[in-house]
Amino acid sequence: MEERPRALLLKFPGTNCDAETARALEAVGFETEIAPISTVTRELLAGIRLVVLSGGFSYGDYVMSGRIASLVTEQKIDAALKEFRDNGGYLLGICNGFQILTQLGLLPEGSLVHNTSGRFQCQWVTLENRAPESPFLKQLPERFEFPVAHAEGRFVTADPAEADGYREKGLAALTYADDVNGSFASIAGLQDESGRVLGLMPHPERFMEARDHYDPDWAGGDSGKGSGYFLFQSLYDAISNSQ
Amino acid sequence: MPDLLEQITEFPADFYRRFKISDLDGDQLLAVSEAMKLSLSREDMLAVQKIYADWNREPTDVELEVIAQTWSEHCKHRIFGATIEHTLDGETETIHSLFKTYIYDVSKAIMARKPDFVLSAFHDNAGFIKLDEKLAICLKAETHNHPSAIEPYAGANTGIGGVIRDILGAGKGAKPIASLDVFCFGAPDTAPEKIQAEDVIHPLGILRGVVRGVRDYGNRMGIPTVCGAIQFDDAYIYNPLVYCGTAGVIPIPDIDKKVEAGMKVIAIGARTGRDGIKGATFSSAALDTESHEEDQQAVQIGNPIEEKKAADVILEARDRGLIGFVTDCGAGGYSSACGEMLEEVGGTIDLDSIRLKEEGMVSWEIFISESQERMVLAVKEESVPALQELADKYETELTELGDADGSGILKVKHHGEIVCALDCSALHNAPVRQMTSHWEKASGGSGEAGESPALSELLRDVISDFAVVSREPIIREYDHEVQGNTVLKPLASAAGDAPQDGSVIRIDGSDQLMAMGLSLLPEWGKTAPYEMGTACVDECFRQLVAMGANPDRIAILDNFCMGNPNAPEELGALVETVKGIAAAADVYSAPFVSGKDSFYNYFETKDGPVSIPVTILISGMGIVEDKAHVVGSSLRRGDSVIAILGTTGGELGGSVAARQMEAEGMAVPGTDLEANLAIYRKYHEAVKAGWILSAHDVSEGGLAVAMAEFAFSGKGGLDVSLDALPVNGEVSKLAQLFAESSGRLVLEIAPEHREQVAAHFASVADGELGTATDAHRNLRVEWGKEVLLDESLSELKSLWKNGLAPYY
Repeated sequence: MEERPRALLLKFPGTNCDAETARALEAVGFETEIAPISTVTRELLAGIRLVVLSGGFSYGDYVMSGRIASLVTEQKIDAALKEFRDNGGYLLGICNGFQILTQLGLLPEGSLVHNTSGRFQCQWVTLENRAPESPFLKQLPERFEFPVAHAEGRFVTADPAEADGYREKGLAALTYADDVNGSFASIAGLQDESGRVLGLMPHPERFMEARDHYDPDWAGGDSGKGSGYFLFQSLYDAISNSQ
Repeated sequence: MPDLLEQITEFPADFYRRFKISDLDGDQLLAVSEAMKLSLSREDMLAVQKIYADWNREPTDVELEVIAQTWSEHCKHRIFGATIEHTLDGETETIHSLFKTYIYDVSKAIMARKPDFVLSAFHDNAGFIKLDEKLAICLKAETHNHPSAIEPYAGANTGIGGVIRDILGAGKGAKPIASLDVFCFGAPDTAPEKIQAEDVIHPLGILRGVVRGVRDYGNRMGIPTVCGAIQFDDAYIYNPLVYCGTAGVIPIPDIDKKVEAGMKVIAIGARTGRDGIKGATFSSAALDTESHEEDQQAVQIGNPIEEKKAADVILEARDRGLIGFVTDCGAGGYSSACGEMLEEVGGTIDLDSIRLKEEGMVSWEIFISESQERMVLAVKEESVPALQELADKYETELTELGDADGSGILKVKHHGEIVCALDCSALHNAPVRQMTSHWEKASGGSGEAGESPALSELLRDVISDFAVVSREPIIREYDHEVQGNTVLKPLASAAGDAPQDGSVIRIDGSDQLMAMGLSLLPEWGKTAPYEMGTACVDECFRQLVAMGANPDRIAILDNFCMGNPNAPEELGALVETVKGIAAAADVYSAPFVSGKDSFYNYFETKDGPVSIPVTILISGMGIVEDKAHVVGSSLRRGDSVIAILGTTGGELGGSVAARQMEAEGMAVPGTDLEANLAIYRKYHEAVKAGWILSAHDVSEGGLAVAMAEFAFSGKGGLDVSLDALPVNGEVSKLAQLFAESSGRLVLEIAPEHREQVAAHFASVADGELGTATDAHRNLRVEWGKEVLLDESLSELKSLWKNGLAPYY
């Protein structure tokens, strides 16, 4: 039997989207292991093609979201994730995972802070695909919807011009079509220069089937798949083809 | 009073005491109960004295605390077990236990009629029903009223945390998959001078604190909060109600759990501190101004990440077969968890092994502390190392508390001494309370308001009423889609903001789904508690069926709250409510699988005591057998046929319209259970045939509001006529539009199925009301030649959608 590409999902105390994210990875063909951070070593990354940081509230996120998780990760495996990326590995951070990747310095500099509404927001948003060549986004259309669920999803940079610059350089892979949370340059997701690291606030794993859409008559539903499926499928194809 | 305790101290130690109670009289015993805040009555204390006389010894303070927890209303449900002399309209009967007569026996009879449906009920932390050959689902709801009144954020926080632990402690550990929350508050715009007591938190502060408390716990645990309701009424200003519920899923073989002699008793999760001392006894008494100052200690602090880690350990341990028995530490702390676990087999708990948050805690404090996020397990000795590894893996603490030994005696050791040795079998028979109640049925009111307001204006008032307006600002604060299984979301349809009748959750590993719904109608119960009971069961059942659940596969929960049970009229309303829910559950064959009650929700204000009305929450789970059966509550097409099932009566009592018109003394609708059930069965056949595009239950606000909400999807306008509306007798146009008669569903049917559907429903009350239209976006309602309403849906939606926004 053909060997499936392996994905490793890092789980921190408080990570809570691990099961459905693993389910999504398995659905497109990844062999997926969930690894509690206490068990993670450099050696565990051997043979892994994709590292995923899923949604949740790592360590409660009582200080800045993702901050403690990033410190613990550095303490456990130091710069192993950077090396992993430099050696051709892929990294995906969803919601809290995006916050952690940002804190780890694996994505263009910036912070995810409290939404301008001051609230947790669970809603669906329209996204603009600004990196159609991204291995994560190749099979997604120009505009599509994903659900978001976060209190700290407002992407900010020290100088707003930096965020605009990310747009110009194509690093702002996903932007909100409407103002959702006050993000600079409407940034919903960022990729790094290599294109192999993507962080996004919305939750693709919650939209794997057309039926997951809030509208039972959703126009994109002919394939029976939701838009989230195509993010994972794109990634699977990119990784399989680069083997 | 401490003097009294010192006088009777026979054996003093730094960490526990033995009291000489054998020669005290009833007054003195009651004084002991009060000095120790045991919440035990004179009769209870006399019974305790007798138990110790039989044992020929004196109790320790730890033992008295354990007995107080065991016999507390919170744990033992003494009022639901009481013998009640109940008088209805002059006729008196004796009820031996409301629970046994109307909940347990009724449910057992239903279970006998429906074998292989309910797999476990009443004895575990939650009842289970069969989902498919492999999996079972469960639902549990609790109240956290007193803590939420005093400390809204922490009270609600630990309310949801506690009910999640109930699910983790159901069977050998069920996985929590969805939560519900239901609140009863004073109106958010209550004038501050209306509050006639010091230190009472304004309803707006309660609302905000409670919502944030639920949000911060539920979201962090990663359990979608998918279902809820809020009732606003002045009666809840002093005693807000906070119901939290959670559903779970478990492999069927893991439902049965057992403690065996030789097993180790271990705890997983947080440490033990002085937070939450006496929560169980505190919630078994009324609140007063002093409560706000003195009882802070009874409210715990929540830490959802601790609970998440414990949950991760338990679910993996269950799958690896490491668990013999598990239960949660809730009210009564270790005393009640270990007591429950060891009540038959017996065993020893060593308090020295318990990890503490603070120094200097005495024996009883450690044993009854309700510190959050702790689970207690009984496991084979050889499983302990594997469990320790799991605890390390998920970064939580495992503590060996003691062992089960087959002696039948619950022993507690501290600093090498036995501080408690109780034969729990002697504690089962708490004295049965003797109570009296009475109720007079309201004489049927005339049914109409003196002066009918303009219908268009009334619709605007009703749709902007706090009872009806969108809960969107609150719903969006809850992550209702985590776990990726919320198929029918609380807000859905074209714009993602139209109200649904409940939620439908996909279950990993099954092709069948779970629908969740709920109902509470406290306004009805003020004058007609029996009718409130039947209507609440009906509405919950109807929501579940509307969303696609099979009417033969529905189970419900009863959660009661009331004021002062010692006031015969209040207790009478409770009795009538219980009879109502039992009658409906029986006809619908929807068994109760779990329930809870909360008493003493009354408050001593400057103007005298204020009680809440008897408030029953019926929540339920139903099985949707195929994802194709899931039906939403919003209009999907601009050309469909609009129909109604069920009969509209003229009674406006309890309705939002009646409140808006300030009309009093109007009759409340009765519920024709047999007729409704026939409708629901027919409806479910139509769902399976694929004829139902969407369906919405007619509830608060009546038909006019139901139709408007139906069309809030924005997919079409409505052109309807009430000429074919099935009515019961002479029904005014006001009542046709705004009465809240139970048993009704508005349907959307594709034009191509029109004939089939009409023929299908020929034997039940149904009527074709009209059509959806692409020609306009109005709600247009005619009756004969008269246009009753012709309202812009976008205007109505704006009123509805923004009603709560200024307050939350």
